[in-house]
Amino acid sequence: MAYFNGASRAVVNILSKLRNVEKPVPVDHSFCELGSIRYHIQVSASDQENIFFSISTPRLSQDEPNPNGLADFILQDIKTKYFNFADIIQPPKEGYTLTLKLNFSKLTRAKDYTKAINMVSSLHVAILNSQLKDTLKNLWMGDIIQGSTMPIKLVNHKQEPFFVFRAPKKVTAIFPMRFKDESDVILATSFFQELADLGSKFPKAPRCEWSPIPPQELRGEPFENLSTNGGFVSFGIFKRHVKGKKADKTAWILLNFQQYVRYHIKCTRGFIQRRMRHRLEVLSEAIEQARIGGEPKIRKEVTKQRKTWLRFSKSKQLKRGIKAFADQMKRLRLRIKIRGLGRLHRYCFHVPKFHALGWHAKLD
Amino acid sequence: MANNVRLYLTCIRNTLEAAMCLQNFPCQEVERHNKPEVELNTSPELIMNPVLICRNEAEKCLIETSINSIRISMKVKQADELENILAKKFLRFLSMRAESFQVLRRKPVQGYDISFLITNYHCEEMHKHKLIDFIVQFMEDIDKEISELKLSVNTRGRLVATEFLKQFI
Repeated sequence: MAYFNGASRAVVNILSKLRNVEKPVPVDHSFCELGSIRYHIQVSASDQENIFFSISTPRLSQDEPNPNGLADFILQDIKTKYFNFADIIQPPKEGYTLTLKLNFSKLTRAKDYTKAINMVSSLHVAILNSQLKDTLKNLWMGDIIQGSTMPIKLVNHKQEPFFVFRAPKKVTAIFPMRFKDESDVILATSFFQELADLGSKFPKAPRCEWSPIPPQELRGEPFENLSTNGGFVSFGIFKRHVKGKKADKTAWILLNFQQYVRYHIKCTRGFIQRRMRHRLEVLSEAIEQARIGGEPKIRKEVTKQRKTWLRFSKSKQLKRGIKAFADQMKRLRLRIKIRGLGRLHRYCFHVPKFHALGWHAKLD
Repeated sequence: MANNVRLYLTCIRNTLEAAMCLQNFPCQEVERHNKPEVELNTSPELIMNPVLICRNEAEKCLIETSINSIRISMKVKQADELENILAKKFLRFLSMRAESFQVLRRKPVQGYDISFLITNYHCEEMHKHKLIDFIVQFMEDIDKEISELKLSVNTRGRLVATEFLKQFI
């Protein structure tokens, strides 16, 4: 699904242009995406081969040991995936969580280069996925203290936290949903109910549940985390959902679930708007037909027919064109009437008449 | 059910045919002014008895007539919250573009979802029977459109939910 393709287009564009540059030019780009991910790409004119790529991603959990950088397991993960063309620079650039030195000179084939660029543009996906996978893994491995299991609060986008909670044989991800508009709440609620109803048709997918009140697992959380108008959506994540290659996909889908719901509501509102506009046009035509002496629809068809008939006689069209031009010229001449220029008109535009036969002046 | 709707719309049509006998009538209070008396409501001798046609508690139509104007207010069926917001959005959308319809009021009468104001000038410019056909057709189309919108929104939601869950497989 295109929405969950997390690659950054801006990074792809910049890195693709760097490959095709003719003259060595210094490059220094700083930009922000998705509200919380910051990038910095730097290339010096003297050393075009090495690209310094810095990235800053939000911290998913407030309990992370290293607030300024990334955990060791994440760095190890990145080293394994990007060893072909990237080296990790320690310490990272100030204000960023990770800095890589990229060197694509070893990648001679265009296909490999494109693949490498796509991997670099999806670096924030890899970092966030690693963080969530580690959290889920710790939850699976951790011991449950009898009678007290605390949910872990994770924040991907600002003001949109979600919770993960260890339950017997599964991990539950709970999303408190908040919307600004009442109509969004109703559209989202109907979507969540469809999601919950489809659980039986997709037994391999995580089971989804929706409730308007906070689930039991979140009792005890601060009130600000539990005040919602869209209810709470829960997904039951089993081991089979985080096995092997599926782990990355599951983690990324969970991280973007809230944004995905907002995107769906936005598209639904656009769809409703289009339908309403279409209906408006239909009803407007109906009232126009009620006018006395006016059925504009039929008139339009007649004029169209006339135009199609005219196209067949080109010589007539040409004659008409010439006549129109001549009329226009006459009108212009008649329109411009300036005093004193009458004589000029007579001298300039008057063609003297030559009497060829029968008239001549006798010269003495 | 369809018969019920037919009877309701037929009753409205017959009432409108009887009520739409409008003529030009200058304002009695302000010189050289010509105002729709049904809106002013100041001269009781110029206002006829309003007619309220109810299909059920949720759907009704109020027809108020005067000597030079007629006001038709409708309350549309809204079975659940989704229909409620769809009806609200749609009717507000139409009201904001009232100039396209000429006979539509920008703000509905209190207690109703949408209102029309037809004056003697409209009757002079348009065919009376076609105007009544338009009003009745409008009512049918509104109900149909809201039902279709609700169905489409639910279908979209189901398709999107299916595609979402397929990502996990």
